[in-house]
Amino acid sequence: MSRFVLDAQGIGISFGGLKAVQSLTLQIPPRALHGLIGPNGAGKTTAFNLLTGVYQTQTGTIAVDGQATHGLPPHDIAKAGLSRTFQNIRLFSELSVLDNVRMGSHLRGRHGLWHTLLRTPRFVAQEIAMQARAMDLLTVFGLQDLAEEQAKNLPYGSQRRLEICRALATEPKVLLLDEPAAGLNPQETKDLARTIHRVRDEFQLAILLIEHDMGLVMEICERITVLDYGVTIAEGEPAQIQTNPKVIAAYLGEPTPDDAASGVATPTTAHGA
Amino acid sequence: MKSLVDYIQAVPARQALRLDVVLLPWLACLVVALLVHFGAPLVVNDYWVNVLRRIGVFVVAAVSLNIVNGFTGQFSMGHAGFMAIGGYIAGGTTYYGSLYLHGSVNAPEFLTQGVTLMLTGLILGGILAAAFGYLVGLPSLRLRGDYLAIVTLGFGEIIRVMLELTGKQLYEASEVQGRLLPALASFPLNGPVGFERIPGYASLFWIYLLVAITALVAFRIKQSSSGRAFLSIREDEIASRAMGINLTKYKIRAFTLAAFFGGIAGGLLAHTGVNPSPTDAAFQRSFEIIIMVVLGGLGSISGAVLAAIILIALPELLRGFAEFRLIVYAVLLITMMLVRPQGLFGVREIWDIARRKPARRGASGRAT
Repeated sequence: MSRFVLDAQGIGISFGGLKAVQSLTLQIPPRALHGLIGPNGAGKTTAFNLLTGVYQTQTGTIAVDGQATHGLPPHDIAKAGLSRTFQNIRLFSELSVLDNVRMGSHLRGRHGLWHTLLRTPRFVAQEIAMQARAMDLLTVFGLQDLAEEQAKNLPYGSQRRLEICRALATEPKVLLLDEPAAGLNPQETKDLARTIHRVRDEFQLAILLIEHDMGLVMEICERITVLDYGVTIAEGEPAQIQTNPKVIAAYLGEPTPDDAASGVATPTTAHGA
Repeated sequence: MKSLVDYIQAVPARQALRLDVVLLPWLACLVVALLVHFGAPLVVNDYWVNVLRRIGVFVVAAVSLNIVNGFTGQFSMGHAGFMAIGGYIAGGTTYYGSLYLHGSVNAPEFLTQGVTLMLTGLILGGILAAAFGYLVGLPSLRLRGDYLAIVTLGFGEIIRVMLELTGKQLYEASEVQGRLLPALASFPLNGPVGFERIPGYASLFWIYLLVAITALVAFRIKQSSSGRAFLSIREDEIASRAMGINLTKYKIRAFTLAAFFGGIAGGLLAHTGVNPSPTDAAFQRSFEIIIMVVLGGLGSISGAVLAAIILIALPELLRGFAEFRLIVYAVLLITMMLVRPQGLFGVREIWDIARRKPARRGASGRAT
């Protein structure tokens, strides 16, 4: 049994000649908050797709909570305890908010056709439980009053929260958040930071986060992995990452002798606050 | 937060065992069938009783196709193929079964051997159609949209051609009795001419019993976690997979279920005095059913029912316009698609539309 709840060793994938991700190693202990950053096109989302089985890793191994998941289809990986949100929100937009969250708990239930058609006690109890659990989850995120609304009618910020809520309904051990702050205003981003902390503490899970908002990443992540052109260029605590010359070069370009003389800025992208 | 299993264990047993929920709807199916069977002839003449039988058959077909095209969002254009399989199997069971057992097609009818043979045939036809549904579902794992439509279209055409190649029908009991299996080896389904003389055992009672059962099954699926899995596949396959939905299992389940009830619909049609013929498997018939599903609203069961009623009854009602009736029919359809492209009810049901509007106003009132 590994002491890491998510243990990916040397995973990678090439598309033709393009090495999108190369020998990426991510080891995340239980209840950790880990950041995955890098310039646009660095391969962050590809890394997520490898971990969740959307793409099959061509090298290395992945284990979720001690169970090997490389080579498994996405639904089995979800069952092993890995859940995710998407960079461009992917809710079931025509379904109600409640149905979106109930869908998340589908994989923890049993769905025999005869039980469904005959409404056996097992089926009825499961439906009641799914609904109760979904409502409790929605309440945690303050969405309970919108339960009957179609997901597409929610404001953007609520849709982001609903996506996290749906991911949590799968009872994950590791939650992958793909740019959760994208499109949020500064106040919403602050709320999000609190939400992420609360989710980690209340649901006792590890969180792996892709994010471009450096303020948010540096504030909440305990460790950070930096990708550039598919290669891991740094890993460490936020303070180390901020002063790592390779990271600064990746974000701001190679320093000229002048820059080096005048000292370099920390890689804080503008986030308009 | 507690896991789903904990939540399930917290549900009291008396809430979980709902005998009324388990039994009453099936009894309601029986009541509906009896009401239509004995009520309709009091209200309408024989001609319209026949139209009602045809309506019932197509309601079953449309509601079942809705499971694939409406719930799961997989565009299948081969439903007529499944109907034809069901029709020939059920018709063949009744026809050759009667010849074999009674020496004549006119076996004793109600609730006796003849009807028993029909019911056996319906189930056999449904099962064989479901097996084909399973096979047709397999490509849906890799194909979507237009490509899946073409494959399913091709399936219907394959069935049509295969039916045209079947052997001559046997009319004498002596050709069947004592040598049933060798006689059936040539698939004596009468090739391009069409299978004849199947007794019309599908009375209003049997047709509307199956209409009610099909609708009940579709509702119970729609209002269950499996049904929501179907809908989630339609909404977004990638998100659906990430939420742990086994796409393979659910797509194939949708195709198999739809094909089973499609086969039943075909079997019923074969027992309404309409000879099954190979062209029944052709795409015109599939289109007819797709139009019903789209008109009713993809995913709406009551919509599919209503659309099937309208689209079968309308040409009959328009007989007064004589040669213009097909034009009127087409214009109505085009108008409909322009005014309500999402179909009559979208994904919702008739009663949702009445109920949900005030509820939504209330919800937005709270939010602002």
